Amino acid sequence: MHIPVTLLTGYLGAGKTTIINALLSQNPERRFAVLVNDFGAINVDASLIKHKDGTTISLTNGCVCCSINDDIGTALDAQRAQSIPPEQVLLEASGVADPRRIATLAGHWPGFKLDAVIAAVDCETIQTRARDKFVGALVKSQIKAADFLVLTKTDLVNAEDLGKTEQWLDTMSVHKPILKAPYALLDTNMIMGPTVADRSLQNGSIVASHPAFSTSTFVPKTALHTGQLAAVLQALPPSVHRVKGIFIDAETGLPTLMQCVGRRFDFSPAPATAPIGLVMISANSAPDIEQVRGAFEQCQRADRDCESAIPRTGS
Amino acid sequence: MAMSEIVVFTARKIRTMNESLPEATAVAVRDGKIIEVGTLETIKPWLESHPHRIDTRFKNHIIMPGFIDPHLHPSLGATLLPCHFITAMEWKLPDRVCPPVTSHEAYLERLTEIERGIEDKNEPLITWGYHKIWHGRVHRTELNRVSSTRPIIVWQRSFHEIIANDAAIDWMSLDRTELERHPQIELETGRFYETGLGVATRAMNPFLLSPARFGAGLELVKKAIHQGGHTTIGELAFPLLDDALEWDVLTKSIERDNVPFRMRLVPRAVLRGTWNGATDEAVERVNSYQARGLHRLSFGNGVKLFADGGFFAELMQMLPPGFIDGHHGEWMTAPETFEALARAFWNDGKQVHVHCTGDMGLELALDVLEKLQFERPRFNHRFTIEHFGVSTPEQARRIADLGAIVSANVYYVHELGEAYWRSSIGHERASQMARLGTLNRLGVTTALHSDFTMAPAEPLNSAWVAVNRIAESGAVLGPQERISLDAAMRAITIDAAYVLGMEHEVGSIRAGKCADFTVLEADPWETPVENLKDIPIWGTVFEGRPYPLKSV
Repeated sequence: MHIPVTLLTGYLGAGKTTIINALLSQNPERRFAVLVNDFGAINVDASLIKHKDGTTISLTNGCVCCSINDDIGTALDAQRAQSIPPEQVLLEASGVADPRRIATLAGHWPGFKLDAVIAAVDCETIQTRARDKFVGALVKSQIKAADFLVLTKTDLVNAEDLGKTEQWLDTMSVHKPILKAPYALLDTNMIMGPTVADRSLQNGSIVASHPAFSTSTFVPKTALHTGQLAAVLQALPPSVHRVKGIFIDAETGLPTLMQCVGRRFDFSPAPATAPIGLVMISANSAPDIEQVRGAFEQCQRADRDCESAIPRTGS
Repeated sequence: MAMSEIVVFTARKIRTMNESLPEATAVAVRDGKIIEVGTLETIKPWLESHPHRIDTRFKNHIIMPGFIDPHLHPSLGATLLPCHFITAMEWKLPDRVCPPVTSHEAYLERLTEIERGIEDKNEPLITWGYHKIWHGRVHRTELNRVSSTRPIIVWQRSFHEIIANDAAIDWMSLDRTELERHPQIELETGRFYETGLGVATRAMNPFLLSPARFGAGLELVKKAIHQGGHTTIGELAFPLLDDALEWDVLTKSIERDNVPFRMRLVPRAVLRGTWNGATDEAVERVNSYQARGLHRLSFGNGVKLFADGGFFAELMQMLPPGFIDGHHGEWMTAPETFEALARAFWNDGKQVHVHCTGDMGLELALDVLEKLQFERPRFNHRFTIEHFGVSTPEQARRIADLGAIVSANVYYVHELGEAYWRSSIGHERASQMARLGTLNRLGVTTALHSDFTMAPAEPLNSAWVAVNRIAESGAVLGPQERISLDAAMRAITIDAAYVLGMEHEVGSIRAGKCADFTVLEADPWETPVENLKDIPIWGTVFEGRPYPLKSV
């Protein structure tokens, strides 16, 4: 199995470290490792720290934060070599790195695969930076490479300026989902994707750890038509940032893992024992979620039930 | 204390590189220092008062000040030199001369010959110098035919890709299913490139960097430095990775009585990957090196900063119109971080050396220097532009106006001029790389360096490129940017010393300086400039002691 890597990019001062500090302080449902460039800036409540040395902080919640120390491959290898490897890695890209290159490097490093590229964007300074003769091309490439954007420091600008920045980003980033992070307190599932394994899935919505976001589930009654599913994902409303889950492909009858981040999605084979259900993570917009749920229902194939072509163990 | 005996070296001609007395025929040396240069007649007062002997072994030779390369990296060379070279150009190495190999068939023939010559059946064969322009497409199955059991790795000349045979892929212990899904690894051809190369080098590093191999590589680098005629070099980014380990290796291998050169180390402003943003701590760390000075290894007043990416990797930052293919270069340091560091070291009185390869990288360095000059003007600051790949004429003028100096890798013109004309930045800008003629007309002090292994560690070769600008095909690129022989020879002696802040000790032959000489078989001023690089070197004199290249 490959360990998913979520890449967090963004220029200096864009708020990457604030996001990481907030993530590490939450109580996540999975053990993840955060690999950072500026180890000294990591600031986690002392009560959460189990052990700390010059390059690693181990947390009581099972997560670790490690210094990349200039070599991403070595840092990834060290994670994979743990007696219990992390379930996911959040990789902080250096502020001046080309995120496409790092996404290719980390997303294909032996044992790892790319989950998503997220760009932190400082809404106060981004438009000035994008015009800067030295870093304009770089910050634009970071926005373009991202699956979705996290707009930081929204509490520091007025509503009108924020609206203008969002408008500008919209033209820049070809309608990528934009998350706003007042105080950069984001939901772990939003940044790292939902966990689907072992969750007892039922239709409905639950409010995530941050009230601005919610997690909604759709449990199909039948197998789903993959082509139609792809069409739904292509037209997702911008408030829905991630969809992940397992369904039975109506053509093949095989359990299939669907992962969608921003506007990018793929389908891959899933283990036969995985529970069926799709998880949506979104900014709280009830009409949008109901619309997507309705669209998913249209992908159901009444003539094919949920039984997989692979016999399930014990059934 | 009794004074040592004076030794007088006589020569056919001594080119002192001191404009006040440019030519001489005798130089008197005592305790490693020059007592006087002139003629046997003019130095008589010393000889009449002190014990002395006359050494005439150089009576048919030309003595020059010991050559200085102000920017090379011995540890990179130590990794490369133990490899088997198969190159399109001739490479003269300390332990072998690699003849040019310029066709696909000849490449495989030479590779097979090397393979047959290695006794240990399991020893991996790593060869460097492959380039598809000359050697065509070499692929996995062809390498399998050379050997199906010995790991063979073909390392591309500019280090950006390797080609491996099946034995090498097995030797690297890499999971083939992982390689199959990698977009920058082609298992069919055996190619690993870009980020895929990272996967291969991770697996190769334990072999490449093993202490025995690295130690042997460093001995070869020492020989290469001697063979090039150097008596002083600058290591322009210490440490590469590990301070304690590298200092230990350097003290053991360089700080020895039989090593014929000294090394000025310029520390990195920040260690790789660890900076926490505190400029005062960076300044303190750099200053702390001062206390370590030894005889051959010393830290001066310099510090190394990095602006944009590598020139061979096409990661230099370019001003519009940029690259033909539309890609962008990289910043090695974020511009804000660069400025903060440059300011801290400027205000501490340091000599700031900046790695600048593209014209946008240079623009950043000059914008920051202009701010610093406004905030806190300094004279004689020697802010140094290192490499100086692509620039504009206006930037050259700003360099002069702001009092900066240049240490250039002019070899770019020879090796990359035509390649970058055709496939990177076009003829106009490629032919004006290393704009040395303009700098010279503006009176900017300019040194030449090899950045070895980016160019051969041969100062006469660098000077030859600067004077002729002869590209790979033999064509002259940017004739207006050629410099005079005088300027080129200064750039590998007294002006290189100036860049390292050592011009009061080395770089010319005059009373009081170190008795460091490069002894040539022919006079550069009497040799056609297009043959400059081929002048044979007898050897060197380091601190008064002769070190011939051929053991006599």
